[in-house]
Amino acid sequence: MPLSKKDSFIKLIDEHKKIIYKIVNSYCPNHADRKDLEQEIMIQLWSAFDSYNTDYKYSTWMYRIALNVAISFYRKEKKWSLKSDYYNEESIFIYGENNLERELESDQNLKLLQQFINDLKELDKALMLLYLDRKKHEEIAEILGISKTNVATKIGRIKIKLKKEFEKNTDYGNK
Amino acid sequence: METNELQRILEAYDAKLDSSIQLNKEALKRIQLEKSEKKTRIILIYRGIELLFFGIVVLFLGNYVVSHWSHTHLAISGSIVGVFALIALTGSIGQVALLQQIDFSKPLVDIRKKIELVNSHNLLFIKLIFLSAPIWWAYALVALDVFLGFDLYPHLDQDFVLRYLVFNAVIIVPVSWLFNKLSYKNMHIDWVRKTIGFLSGTKTGKAMEFLNEIEEFEH
Repeated sequence: MPLSKKDSFIKLIDEHKKIIYKIVNSYCPNHADRKDLEQEIMIQLWSAFDSYNTDYKYSTWMYRIALNVAISFYRKEKKWSLKSDYYNEESIFIYGENNLERELESDQNLKLLQQFINDLKELDKALMLLYLDRKKHEEIAEILGISKTNVATKIGRIKIKLKKEFEKNTDYGNK
Repeated sequence: METNELQRILEAYDAKLDSSIQLNKEALKRIQLEKSEKKTRIILIYRGIELLFFGIVVLFLGNYVVSHWSHTHLAISGSIVGVFALIALTGSIGQVALLQQIDFSKPLVDIRKKIELVNSHNLLFIKLIFLSAPIWWAYALVALDVFLGFDLYPHLDQDFVLRYLVFNAVIIVPVSWLFNKLSYKNMHIDWVRKTIGFLSGTKTGKAMEFLNEIEEFEH
């Protein structure tokens, strides 16, 4: 039996849930607001679901929408949002028994990496998230709308910055 | 940090996410996705009203110039104010066109630029006010004639008119310079940033700064 539109949408979100989690985590420093951002992303994805262009991968489509929503949310541009009155109090994620936040906090490297990402400017942050998701330069260029050469140059610069940050904050440099 | 080390951290991160998060499908169903049809963005309504207003003003001034053709000073003044209204109308048309093109599923840089151009629209009016400074008399002559039915020009002393024309001609250069300076490309200049923030508000200032960032990111 074929899946309904809503079930197909939920299946798709389930397959790519880590994209949403990482974007929300990086663009919304305030924990209390994260549910609103998660839901705004879902609403925008749903409203664009019918017009999804099959020339692109689902992840490309999802990244574009989620990053655009997250940047508007981060910049507090409410006029670009859809129906905020349909927000509810639930998160779209269920967290396992092992406390994810605490686990991530206890991993010094991860904590440093997350802090580094959080401190980047909005567009650099998007680039870094895509790079860390192991996207090819071509797909990153497609999502962001810049050239492949520009992607490579920027990633190179961010990696140098990241290396310095790690050397400064850990004893990594002495190893 | 070498690439291998970064990969190791990321793999550990992904493994933690895989074992720790699940999609809350029931919560997702409860978001009432069906009821979230795209509401007409308020901003599009504002820009539509603005477009209508300037459209009416341009038509009115066109008619004013034609009907005052025999009074050269009023026809010239009407034409000058008409040109400014036409610039404002063009700006509003551009805004409506930009708003129609904003689609979050399109490449990030292009959409962010369009959004920030909409957010910084107020600056156009500030720039028009600056640019109007050397020809403020055109507004005064037209307004007095339209609202009070009083033609001021025949009552003015010719020396007074000449002095003001010379003065206004002189300030065209600094005003044009200022007009060009007030751009997002000059947000690195302290006084430009402060002037834009002061005259058109913090939101416009922030939008201009972000436009500048986008430009840097693109190149």
